[in-house]
Amino acid sequence: MTSNVGSAYSRPPLTLWDRINPVRMIGELSETRYWMYLLLIPSALLITAVVIYPTLYGMQMSFREMRLNRPDLGTGWVGLKHYQRMLTDPIFWVSLRNTAVWVTSAIALEFLIGLIAALTLNRNLPGSKVLAVLILLPYFLPNVVAGHMWALMLDPRLGVINDLLVKIGWLEGYKAWFADPSTAMAAAIVVEAWHSFPFFTLLILAGLKGIPSDLYKAADIDGAGPFAQLRLITLPMLKTIIAAAVILRVIGLVNSPDLLLILTSGGPGRSTQVLSLYAFQTAYKDFNFGYAGALSVVMFILLMGFAWAYVRLSKVNED
Amino acid sequence: MTTRFDRRSVLKMGGGLLAASALLPKQAFAQQTAINYWHTFTSQSEFAGLEDVMKLFAAAHPDIAVTQENIPNPEFMAKITAAVVSGSRPDSTMVSSERVADLVAMGGLTDLTDRIAAWERRGDFDDSRFASITKDGKVYGIPAFTFVDWMYYRKDWFDEAGLAPPTTYAEFRDAAIKLTDPAKGRFGFGMRGGAGGQSYVINIMEGFGAKLIQDDGSISLDRDKAIEAVDWWSGLLIKDGAVPPSAPNDGFRQIMEAFQTGQTAMLWHHTGSFQDNSKLLKAGVEFATAAIPAGPVNRVSRLGYAYNTVTKPETIDASWEWIKFWGEPDAAVAFLEKTGYFPASTVAAQDERISGNPLYKPAADTLGFGIPAPSFAGFAGWSESVVLPAFQRVLIKEATPEQAVDEMIDGLAQAIA
Repeated sequence: MTSNVGSAYSRPPLTLWDRINPVRMIGELSETRYWMYLLLIPSALLITAVVIYPTLYGMQMSFREMRLNRPDLGTGWVGLKHYQRMLTDPIFWVSLRNTAVWVTSAIALEFLIGLIAALTLNRNLPGSKVLAVLILLPYFLPNVVAGHMWALMLDPRLGVINDLLVKIGWLEGYKAWFADPSTAMAAAIVVEAWHSFPFFTLLILAGLKGIPSDLYKAADIDGAGPFAQLRLITLPMLKTIIAAAVILRVIGLVNSPDLLLILTSGGPGRSTQVLSLYAFQTAYKDFNFGYAGALSVVMFILLMGFAWAYVRLSKVNED
Repeated sequence: MTTRFDRRSVLKMGGGLLAASALLPKQAFAQQTAINYWHTFTSQSEFAGLEDVMKLFAAAHPDIAVTQENIPNPEFMAKITAAVVSGSRPDSTMVSSERVADLVAMGGLTDLTDRIAAWERRGDFDDSRFASITKDGKVYGIPAFTFVDWMYYRKDWFDEAGLAPPTTYAEFRDAAIKLTDPAKGRFGFGMRGGAGGQSYVINIMEGFGAKLIQDDGSISLDRDKAIEAVDWWSGLLIKDGAVPPSAPNDGFRQIMEAFQTGQTAMLWHHTGSFQDNSKLLKAGVEFATAAIPAGPVNRVSRLGYAYNTVTKPETIDASWEWIKFWGEPDAAVAFLEKTGYFPASTVAAQDERISGNPLYKPAADTLGFGIPAPSFAGFAGWSESVVLPAFQRVLIKEATPEQAVDEMIDGLAQAIA
């Protein structure tokens, strides 16, 4: 038996078919360093078509007059007119303030409940698997379904929540939660927190599984109690995951007006009006796409600024 | 002999099947034209009525297949705007009067002037029925049915209190106060202060003399009369306590439920909710109907028409057959019997099945003095985005009627600028 080890492999000469065979050409290309970029082209095209192009188009729309029901005004360049209008638009400032309250409160509540749920599930108590599914159920519901469900549960005439609260003596009579500006936002925040806390639960639970148990054993030996362990081991080890979860939820909350659209439509009297809802209504009720574009650009800039600031302040990159 | 199923033969077979499947659907459906129809019906009775009309149409036109798609009313303009802009518009659409101006301005509707003029049933309709669907001399649709605003009232409560149904705003307020009894969980009136409430505010303002469209065609709002109107309307909650405290957020579902479950004594809506109310309350015994009371200056009972229009010119022939079918008396009466919506056709409205029912009399009377809602480009957006929130702020005591009306006037100026 002869061995070819150590001897140079000599290729047979290429036939005409070999030179034009596309399958062979792709095979050769897959061995080059350009193959990786070629594989990315379809995804890049898709992202350009559905993300980059609409974003840039929306930005350029914010510098134009675009009122769909006023074709007589044309679609010409108006520069910073919409941004100047924003500075003196009282609804913009109310919406901005409400957005800050909405996002901060909802995220804080979701994180707190999500952390408690994750810590509980991590203890692997009997029935944890069933409990895990039940805890995740709210997150599976579309926002629209969750909104309608809670609107019925909190109904001032027929709502089961009102009925329970009256029966246990917490309320004297049925309450119109979404008709009172002092409770409308709070009620909406509770609904949002109920719906989205499983997101934090999932991510934090995954993070908890990655924390070595030796750290907790060592802490036990040193006499650290549960809260000290939570503060000095658990939370620092979850820093990156918490930062990612918070940033993703903030982006999701700022950008989606659907829950508030279902529950209050921004009322009563704009007490639950947020920026995304205002932009949506400006576009699809007032047909003023130029101004709506400007509102969207401002939201985009605020979100970018928040993400940058949050990453810096949470020192996620310092590990 | 065995056949080897290798990759090439699988690919060849797959390619062959694909080519064959591309031909089949065209063969199967070549005989029927398919059109889709967008509408804003939501209740079971409305869907039942639509189903009846579709069955009658299918029997009369087996060559046209209609697929209906429900778009919830609050989201309708968002969806149709997106469809028009993106080029994915439906073949045919139901459009209410107040939306026509905006849709025509954005090029969402097809001109049907010549077809309607030549239509054999054009004479069945009074000219006024086409007023709101005509812009610059062009007619864009056919009235499908009529929204006749009227009042439902708890006849049993009125009889118990010895009251007659109100005919003026003053009598209405008086009855609302007298029929309010918090101990029994009863309120005199179900105010719609949530989604859709803007039309009531505008109607009340007009009732007090603050018309939007002046006699010379200009658009403006009389500040003093509007303040008086907003003060009176909001006073039903703030001063009299004659409406449920949930009023600032009460939309269609809430005011209907309140009336049907015995919380409110009076409800202002249109004839389309008649069948739904009749399912839960006995018509003529527990509840009855009356015309909307007259304001101190104007009697404002809205007559609105839902128009069926053609939104995609490419399928205009099939869509035209569909939309004009709604003008047939049988279709109109079938729809009325399931819903309560009055026919837009004068001939159909005289049908014995309608004129013989005393509960429909207030609506029939309203056809004589009812007026259409204001219609101009920007009206829908202004009323929803400015009028309603401003009024809600009065209801929740965050603004005075003066502040609210000033906000409405500023918003109106921006909308028509």
